Amino acid sequence: MLTGFCALLHKDLTLERRGGRVVIELCVLSLLVLVVLVVAYGPETGGRPESAAGALWVALILSGLPGASLAVAAEHENDCLTGLRLSPLEPATIYAAKVAAVALSMAVSQAATLLLLVLFFNLQFDLNLLRLIPILLLGTLGLCALSTLLGTITSRLRAGEMLLALLTAPLYVPELIAGVKASAAVLSGASLAAVVLPLKILAACDLLFVVCGYLLFEYLAG
Amino acid sequence: MRPSLGAAFAAAGCVLVPAALFMVFVYVPTEASQGIVQRIFYFHVPCAWVAFLGFGLSAVAGAFYLFFAQQVWDDIGYAAAEVGMLFCTLVLITGSLWAKPIWGTWWTWDSRLTTTFILWLLYAGYLLLRAMGEENEQVARLAAVVAIVAVLDIPLIVISVRLWRTIHPAVLVTRSGEHGLEDPRMLQTLAVSMLAISALSAWLFWLRLKTLRAKSRLFELRRMLATAQAIGDGAP
Amino acid sequence: MNHLSYLFAAYSIIFVAVFLYVILLWRRQVRLEAELLRLEDEIRELARKMAPPEDGGASAT
Repeated sequence: MLTGFCALLHKDLTLERRGGRVVIELCVLSLLVLVVLVVAYGPETGGRPESAAGALWVALILSGLPGASLAVAAEHENDCLTGLRLSPLEPATIYAAKVAAVALSMAVSQAATLLLLVLFFNLQFDLNLLRLIPILLLGTLGLCALSTLLGTITSRLRAGEMLLALLTAPLYVPELIAGVKASAAVLSGASLAAVVLPLKILAACDLLFVVCGYLLFEYLAG
Repeated sequence: MRPSLGAAFAAAGCVLVPAALFMVFVYVPTEASQGIVQRIFYFHVPCAWVAFLGFGLSAVAGAFYLFFAQQVWDDIGYAAAEVGMLFCTLVLITGSLWAKPIWGTWWTWDSRLTTTFILWLLYAGYLLLRAMGEENEQVARLAAVVAIVAVLDIPLIVISVRLWRTIHPAVLVTRSGEHGLEDPRMLQTLAVSMLAISALSAWLFWLRLKTLRAKSRLFELRRMLATAQAIGDGAP
Repeated sequence: MNHLSYLFAAYSIIFVAVFLYVILLWRRQVRLEAELLRLEDEIRELARKMAPPEDGGASAT
């Protein structure tokens, strides 16, 4: 199982390295979202940790949704998914590898987003940014787990992108709320106690989405 | 699937709904602090109960559909979600109509309202998927997965929304006041309304299930006809 | 008593919504049943024309 996982992950990462467009597209989308939000907020609100945290998560969800469907849609080209299903790999392994690949692409773009966020919102380069990383990683994992699971089918439908967003966003609400709360607390330098409950919610959501995806993917990939 | 069950629901609804209406408008005393608008609650609460029940049933049917792969479970899940959605919409509307005179606003991001709204949004997505996606097994399986994940997600939504919106104290006081139905006649009315709305929704569910079963049968016949014609074309 | 209109609106919306939904379902059911009858006739017709194995398959389900 682990060798299959590694092989699939390696395949996706190699594809991405050889002129893949997922990471670049995600970075550009995040950049756009941040610019739009800075312009919409106006220069005064920049620098407030709440608005920075909000912008970060808007960028995450708005770039993550198309990102995941891009990655899943790649498997539909030339009917690769059918090929994978014919291989002796378990569907759950395929799912896990796909989620890992999407999450890695998203994590790279998150790093770029974070850099831009500091510049745009006049934040400080300090330890608080490092504390943001686990929160972002949890949020990214949850979004990837969810959108990869649902995107497997929606990417084959006509209005698939819209449906994916419509289905994912309400399910992702707990992570969004907890993530924004935690990020705002961390950026404003609040104590660790303020982050515990949001982190628990993030972790619980991730667990739910990953386990559901792991168990239910085989019904969708058939 | 006996048609008599549907008729029984309809008959129960025909008796219980007028009875509930009579109790709401004539029998029950007017609540002291909120006045006459409080009577909305005798139908608002049962609608909420039916909506949640519908969503729960849809998730259970979804799990059965994935497990047994029988079309009937898919139809049950779809019908339950649609009826649940209807009553969830009614909950939001009647809640709004109650909130306007009591809170002075149509809508507030109170935790319970927000949770209901997110639930509504979830099933709006579910029904849109059903309406827009092609009618094939894949879309049906995705709908089942969405229903299952959604129901499991509900507790997390509740917790997170509470975190997001630290509760409006005024709202909470009124809310708890509303649930302390001090007169026994209020409880009786609520109980009868509960039965009435349950019967009504069961009947609607039954009707919807019937159309879905007819549709499934139609697809089956079309497939059969196509096969038969293909064989017929090939034979001579 | 201005509040009376809110009460009235709430209850009328419930029953109008349910009524419209029932009408919608009823019309859909009528249309489906007509289509079903037509198809069943067609299948019976086809079965009569064709050899016994297809007939057995068609009437068994």
